[in-house]
Amino acid sequence: MLVIRLNRMNVPIICCRLPIVSSFLLYLFFSFLLTSAQADELILAKESVQADISTRSVSITSSFTGTEIIVFGAVENARRTKDSLNPYDVVVVVEGVSQSLVLRRKSNVAGLWFNNEAVYFSSIPSYYAISTNRPLVEITEPHILDQHGIGFMHISMVLSNRFTQGHISNKINKESKTAIVRLKHKQGLYVENRFGTIFVGPSLFRTSINLPANVPVGPLTARVHLFRDGILLDTFISKVQLSRKGIGRYIYNFASNYPVLYGFFTVVVAAGAGWGASKYFSRRRS
Amino acid sequence: MHFYLPIAEMSANVLVFVGIGTIIGFLSGLFGVGGGFLMTPLLIFAGVPPVFAVGTQSAQIVASSVSGAIAQWQRRNIDFTMGTILIFGGLVGAIIGVQFVKWLREIGQFDFAVSISYVIFLGVVGALMLIESLNTIHKIRVGHTAFERRSGQHNWAHGLPLKMRFRRSKLYISAIPPLLIGLMVGFLAAIMGVGGGFVMIPAMIYLLRVPTNVVVGTSLFQIVFVTAATTILHAVQNQTVDIVLALLLMIGGVIGAQFGAAAGEKLKGEQLRFLLAALVIGICLRMAWQLISAPEELYSVTPFLEHTE
Repeated sequence: MLVIRLNRMNVPIICCRLPIVSSFLLYLFFSFLLTSAQADELILAKESVQADISTRSVSITSSFTGTEIIVFGAVENARRTKDSLNPYDVVVVVEGVSQSLVLRRKSNVAGLWFNNEAVYFSSIPSYYAISTNRPLVEITEPHILDQHGIGFMHISMVLSNRFTQGHISNKINKESKTAIVRLKHKQGLYVENRFGTIFVGPSLFRTSINLPANVPVGPLTARVHLFRDGILLDTFISKVQLSRKGIGRYIYNFASNYPVLYGFFTVVVAAGAGWGASKYFSRRRS
Repeated sequence: MHFYLPIAEMSANVLVFVGIGTIIGFLSGLFGVGGGFLMTPLLIFAGVPPVFAVGTQSAQIVASSVSGAIAQWQRRNIDFTMGTILIFGGLVGAIIGVQFVKWLREIGQFDFAVSISYVIFLGVVGALMLIESLNTIHKIRVGHTAFERRSGQHNWAHGLPLKMRFRRSKLYISAIPPLLIGLMVGFLAAIMGVGGGFVMIPAMIYLLRVPTNVVVGTSLFQIVFVTAATTILHAVQNQTVDIVLALLLMIGGVIGAQFGAAAGEKLKGEQLRFLLAALVIGICLRMAWQLISAPEELYSVTPFLEHTE
């Protein structure tokens, strides 16, 4: 725009002196307008997001106490607005393997508190981390969030066809969803960072996601959603492998492949430890 | 220092869990109880999911009770005949109990059943022990004989068939009462994730009239075998035995048990029983409070296996 204004001011001055030059400049001016309009359409069609994760595979060793993964990327063919504000919103979601879960609600019957209602879910993300550059309500409409499972209240939860008890079982209502999110959040497994995604320059962004030590072992899915004016432009999906390494892996495999042997082995180790200790202590006493 | 628990899938602070093991081991050696009834709440408080707490602590109880049982055996305080009958009853009880637990889990009343059984059994046992030990202490103070062993006195347990001689206990009674006690203890062990010593010891003292010094050793002897069986059942059925966590607890447990056994020698029988009664009643009250007070969180989530429908 600035260039055009300069041109407009320059054109009449040049016109008086050199008509040929001025007509050429006019041609240039119009052709510039034309190509920039074409370019605009081109950019609109091609806006996309490219991203990557700092670690593609996280090893859980015996010293694992949680880790941090960094999701970074760029908005391709990013456009600038007149006020040079960034028009893009980036939402990063990292989900753990899905698990089946039963939610129970206590109520007071005859002065005692016990589980009276239950609702069974066949699939709920075991871990869910979300990082946005601003609060989700400002980014887009709830129905889009629902559609893509973006945000705590929009996480996809699939009911099991198993028998259920009490009134909460009828559907996934807001109350039961809030309860699951609250409980998972307390365990550190559902995390939200409303301003966690940071833009570095016009199109580069990055965010860090904390994987707690109790993160369920299994592949993680990372999604990067690109929004402009509430419209979902592009989604980038990648996987992070989360696997046991070292001695923990051997123990886990032993316990799941040979449970009877593992049980006996544990008992022998325990009995040996008890016997060894009593030997040691009785020798020391005498 | 942290260590990742491969089965429980969490990072554990080594010192915290060795510390918990030491406390439990000390009580185990002192009273001859497995200490499971204290271990479960402590482990859950330290962040271990309840299923892994119950599964793993049985392995630790094996270690501490082996250590304790050897110490008792060296003092010739184990009645092997009685112990064998208790073990037989215990194994049958544990197998029935594990099935019962499975059913309770499915209907979501496992926690409630655990709390209710803790309140009832700990309450009754604790109150009885407290009254008895206080009476004994009082009698000693006013100058009566400390140990009233009314030999030749008969109760219902002496009228049953299948009489056997229990040399170490200096008893000639029917095998049925010890078998039933073992059965009940095994059943409780499976439900409550405990060794069951706190029920077995009073039952042996008050129902069978086994001398107090023999009771502790015999109880430990039975606990070794019943918890060993429970550990294997947990490992096979639920895969909730974490050997790394068990080892951390054992390190503390075996050391604590030795100190506990040594400390126990310095105390008189009735004093030991009074302390154990106080501990049992304390935990009973805490459990009862949980059942009647309005919980902060009404909801709870537990994983379940979809394919077990």
